[in-house]
Parts: sequence; structure tokens; C-alpha cells
Amino acid sequence: MPTMTLEAPRSTLDSPAMTSEQDESGQVDASAAAAARRDDFAEQAMQYADQLYAAAMRMTRNPADAADLVQETLLKAYAAYGSFKPGTNLRAWLYRIQTNTYINTYRKQQRRPFEAPLDDMEEWQIGDAESFTSTSSRSAEAEAIHRMPSGIVKDALQQVPVDFRMAVYWVDVEGLSYAETAEVMETPTGTVMSRLHRGRKLLRGLLADYAREQGIEVPESTEKGKKP
Amino acid sequence: MSTVEANKDCTQARAALEEYLHKELCAEDAADVRAHLDTCEECSAEHHVGETLTSALQGACKDRAPEELRERLLASLRAAKAQHD
Repeated sequence: MPTMTLEAPRSTLDSPAMTSEQDESGQVDASAAAAARRDDFAEQAMQYADQLYAAAMRMTRNPADAADLVQETLLKAYAAYGSFKPGTNLRAWLYRIQTNTYINTYRKQQRRPFEAPLDDMEEWQIGDAESFTSTSSRSAEAEAIHRMPSGIVKDALQQVPVDFRMAVYWVDVEGLSYAETAEVMETPTGTVMSRLHRGRKLLRGLLADYAREQGIEVPESTEKGKKP
Repeated sequence: MSTVEANKDCTQARAALEEYLHKELCAEDAADVRAHLDTCEECSAEHHVGETLTSALQGACKDRAPEELRERLLASLRAAKAQHD
């Protein structure tokens, strides 16, 4: 078995690293181990700096608040690192702390009163993407989305209410599974699915509106209600 | 296949399309959706819109943490560590 041949050199390789954490009696120094673990946190967490910042930009929608949110998230995660189970998904764990921090700090402060609470979203605002009925209009829609400048797509996403927006972000951009997203958002998987569905529908409506403004032929959806 | 049966297939496929897109279906259900997409131009076009939307989102959300933020983060983690030690 290859395992046997790998075991011997491994223990040799480990020895030099171990000495720094051992005191004279050969006991592992607990505080040194804890310090090593905290050093490890900075290294591990900084790998996700870009992703945490991108998620924070989706949540707060401005660079100053996003930077503050990432900093607060990392400090909370650092303090709670003892409760993180090694080998589990660090990225999702960080995202969950970030989501909670956002909700507790930013949403409670009501700094964005113009952002309508999600549950106030009416079906007429969501529109109905299914109403692009024919194959040719769907092809036109796909083509329009494909050609859409990325700044427009980003702006459209930022207009989607935050819980729908984040469900779309975690799943479509970050590639989290529905189960992971449910953990991050601390909601049942069914809620993730409905937020995701509504978020994507709303986004399609916004992008179709933009395409039409640009004179691109994307048929008006018939079931989408007009704003009163 | 009758029109009614075809519509039923479409309804089932449409209901599962988002989960199919996000690879959340079990192998058997995914195979059913795939088989339907191979034969149905409309559902296939609908699926293509979904895929295009996902890739447009991925292309649009590539924010990078500014260098000064990285420095700030490292400094605040060092400060937190100093408090601990």
C-alpha cells in the first residue's frame, strides 16, 4: 500500500515544524498552538478578501460601507475562530458571519430607508419572465443579455431587493449550493429557492427593460403589470 | 406524442429548470430534463436564457478588494492578535 511508504517521511518532515511549538519538556505549548491557529486565520481568511469584498459590495452597494463590513466581518470571525470546525467550509462560514453582521449593523441602522423591505414586493413588481413566449423572443432575450455591458448587469442586480439579490449572488456568482446558501442566509432551502427564483425573474425584467430602452427587440411581457 | 402530453413535459421541465441550471437535481431528474431539452426547442431556448443570465452575472461581479483595504484588514487582524497575546 502506498500509505505505508508515505507515513515514514511525513513524520520526519513534521518534526522541524513541531519544535517551535514545543517547550523544553517536549510538551506542546497550548498558547503557542493557539497563536499558530490565529496566524493561520489571517492567512486563510485573506484568501477570501476579494470574495468578501464583492459580497459586501452587493449588500451595502457602496465601497466605504463594503470595506467597513469586510473589516468587521473578519474581526468577528477572528474572535469566533475557535468555534470554526477545521475541514468544513471556511468560505461559507465567513459569509454567514458577514450576512449576520450586515443585518445587525447596516439593516438595523436603517441607513437605506429607500430600500423596500422584501416582503413588500408585489407580484406586479416581479413581473413574469415566463411571458416571453416564443422561441425567437427567447433567443433575442438571451442575445440581449449576452451583449449587455457588465456595468448594466451589475446595476440591475443592485436594484433587486437585498435578500433576493444575495440569493442570486451566492448561487449564480459564488456557485454555492442551495444547502450552503441556506446556511449562509440562515433560512430553509425552500426560502433560498423562492428568493433565487424571484431575484432572477426580477433581474430578467430589468435587463429586458434596459434592452428595450436601447431599441433592442425584446417583446414586452404580456403578464407584467404596469406600475400604477 | 399528443399536445397535452408535450405540454405536461414542458410544465415539468420548466418547474425544474432552475434547479437543473444550478445542478441541484438528482442524476435521474437531471437526465429527464436533459432529454426534454434535447427535443423541445422552446424549453431549450428558455434554459439558454437562464445560462446566459448566470454567466452575465459572473462577468459583472468581479470586484476586487482595494489594496488599501487589504492593508487595513491585515493591520486590524494584527492589532486583534496583539490584544490576544
